[in-house]
Amino acid sequence: MSRACQAGASQTGEAPLPNVAAALAAKRTLRILVMGAAPGRTGRTGRSYTAQIEAMLHSALKVTSIEIINRGVSGELAANAAIRMKTEVALEQPNLVLWQVGTNDALAYVPAAEFAATVKDQIAWLKTHKVDVVLVGLQFAPQMLRDAHYVDIRDTLRRLAAEENVIVVRFFEAMQILNPPGDDTAMPAADEFERSEEGYNCLSQYVARAITLGVFAKGLRAPAQTPGQTPGQTPK
Amino acid sequence: MTREPNAVDFWRGFALITIFIDHIPGLFYASFTLANVSISDAADLFVFLAGWSLRLMAEGRGEPRPIRDVMLRLFGRALELYAAQIMITMLAIAILALSATELDNPLLLQWHNAAAVFTDPVPAHIGLAVLTHQLGYFDILPLYVVLMLMAPFFALIDRVAPRMLLPLSLALYVCVLAFRLTLPTWPVAGTWFFNPLAWQAIFVLGFTLAEPRRGAGGFVRRYIGWLRLIGVPIVIAGAVIHIFDLWPDPTRVPHPILFFIADKTFMTPMRLVQFLALIAVFSFAWPYIRRAGEMAYVGGPVSRAIRLLAMLGRNSLYVFCIGSLLSLSAQVVRLYYRGSAASDTAVVLLGILIMAFTAWLAELRQRGRPAPSSARRLPAH
Repeated sequence: MSRACQAGASQTGEAPLPNVAAALAAKRTLRILVMGAAPGRTGRTGRSYTAQIEAMLHSALKVTSIEIINRGVSGELAANAAIRMKTEVALEQPNLVLWQVGTNDALAYVPAAEFAATVKDQIAWLKTHKVDVVLVGLQFAPQMLRDAHYVDIRDTLRRLAAEENVIVVRFFEAMQILNPPGDDTAMPAADEFERSEEGYNCLSQYVARAITLGVFAKGLRAPAQTPGQTPGQTPK
Repeated sequence: MTREPNAVDFWRGFALITIFIDHIPGLFYASFTLANVSISDAADLFVFLAGWSLRLMAEGRGEPRPIRDVMLRLFGRALELYAAQIMITMLAIAILALSATELDNPLLLQWHNAAAVFTDPVPAHIGLAVLTHQLGYFDILPLYVVLMLMAPFFALIDRVAPRMLLPLSLALYVCVLAFRLTLPTWPVAGTWFFNPLAWQAIFVLGFTLAEPRRGAGGFVRRYIGWLRLIGVPIVIAGAVIHIFDLWPDPTRVPHPILFFIADKTFMTPMRLVQFLALIAVFSFAWPYIRRAGEMAYVGGPVSRAIRLLAMLGRNSLYVFCIGSLLSLSAQVVRLYYRGSAASDTAVVLLGILIMAFTAWLAELRQRGRPAPSSARRLPAH
C-alpha cells in the first residue's frame, strides 16, 4: 500500500467474503458489480479506480479472470440504487457488489433512519442471494464535518456495516488524511482534484486489500504468493 | 396566435412539472408524484407524447406532408435537440462549478457524473459531444436525440408500409430485451440510463396510436371502453406493487429475465403494459378536465391551471431545458438550506413560476414572428 494511504489502512473493515472465496477456489471468473455514486471514475492516470482494483486483485489473488461491471448511476439515492441493483445482480450474476453509498443521500437530506432501512434490507437481500458486498463510504470534504446530517449518515453506515458484518471502506477518512487541517481554500483549487485523485487511488488500494483479506478470512487456501509477500499482505 | 389547450399539450405540461420535481432527490413533494404509485413515470409519458406529436407533424393539416419534407424536418429537429442538450449540459457544469466555489464544497464537482469533466477533460469533452458522457438527470435529451434520428425512418416506413412499422419496432424491442442490446457510455464505463433501442418502442407506440383511423390507433379507439376495463386492474396492481414493495425478485423469474421484471433502462414489458393501461384509463379524463376549466369562472384556478399546463406543453423543449437546470439548481439550494420544508416549497413554486415565464416568453417571441408553420399547429383533442 502506498505511503499516502497507509494512515487510513486501519480504517478498512475486515470481514469474510465467502462467495468471492468460493469463486476463487472453484477457479471461476470473479465478477464484481460496481454500484453507486462514482461509477468507474477516470483519473489523470487514464485508469478508472475500478481498473486499478482489478489490477491489484490480479496481482494479489493470482486469479486469471476478473470482470468488473460498472453500473453506477451518479447522483442516485440508495433507495433507487437498491431497486436497480437487484436487476443487475440477476443479469450479471456477480460474486461481489462494490457499493459506494451514502454521499447522495446525505446531500439530499434523506433521513438517516430511512437510509439505514434501505441499506440494511439490501445487505440482507444480497446475503440471501449469495452475493458478497463491500460498502464504500461517504466522500470527504472538510466542510461536511460541520454538517450534522452528513456525519450522521456516515456513522449510520459504519454502524450498519458492523452490525451486518460487512466490509465498509471508509473513503471519508481516506480523503480526510489527504486534506491537512487548516488547508481549506475558498476555491476548489487544482490540488483539490489531486487530493480527490489520491483519495480514489487509496480507495482502490483499500478495496483491493479488503477483498484480499476477506477472501483469506475464511481460512481457504491462499493463492500462490509472490516472492517476499506474506499471506494477507496487500499489494504495494 | 397560440393554439387552445388540448390533451397533448396539457399532459405534456403535466409530465414536465413532474419530471422537474422527480429530478430533485430527497424533495418532500417528490413523494407525491406519479412515480410513487405507478410502475411507469413521467418520462414514459413524455416520450410517448413525443411519438404522438411526430404523427401530428407528419400528417400536417389536411393532406399528409411530402415525406422528403417530413424527413428533413425531423433531422432538423434532432439537430435542435442536440444543440439543446449540449447547451444545458454546459450550463449544468457551470452551475456545479459555481456552487462548488461559492459553497466551498468540492464534493459538488463530483456530483452527477461531472467528475470526469473536471478531472479528465480531454476524453470527457469528446464524450459530451458524442453523447456518450451524460450528467445524471441530463440523460433524457440524448435519448430524445437518438429517437429523433430514428424518426425519419419511422415516418418513411409508415408512409411506405404502415402495417409494418409497429411489428418492426416491437421486433427490435424483443431482440433488445432478449440479447440485452444497449449503448455504452464513455469515458466512464457503463451503459445509457435510457436505452434508445428499447425506448423506441414507446415512441413508435405513441406515433402509431395517434393515427385515429387505421392500424393500432383505429383498433384502440374502437375498443377503448374494453381497454379501460382491462386497464383499471393493471393500474391498481401497479400501485399496489409499488406501495407495498411487491416487485418480483429478478433472480427468481424465468430467462430472459428482462421480459419479466420492471426496469427503466430497458423499458421492460411490465413497465410498458402498465403505462399503456394507465393512458387507456386516463384517456377519459381530458374532456372532463376541459369542461371543468370552462365551467370555472373566467380566470378561476382550474382554468388557469389548465392553461398553465397547456402553455408549458406547447413549449416543451424550452421548458424541459429550463426545468432540468432548475432541478439541478434546486438541489444546490436544498443543500444550502439543508432540505427544509420551507426551501422545498420555495423551490417548487419558484421553479414552476420560472418554467411558466419561460413558456410565456417563448410565445411572446413567436407572436412577434410571421404566422407559424402548420407543423406547430396541433389540432385540439
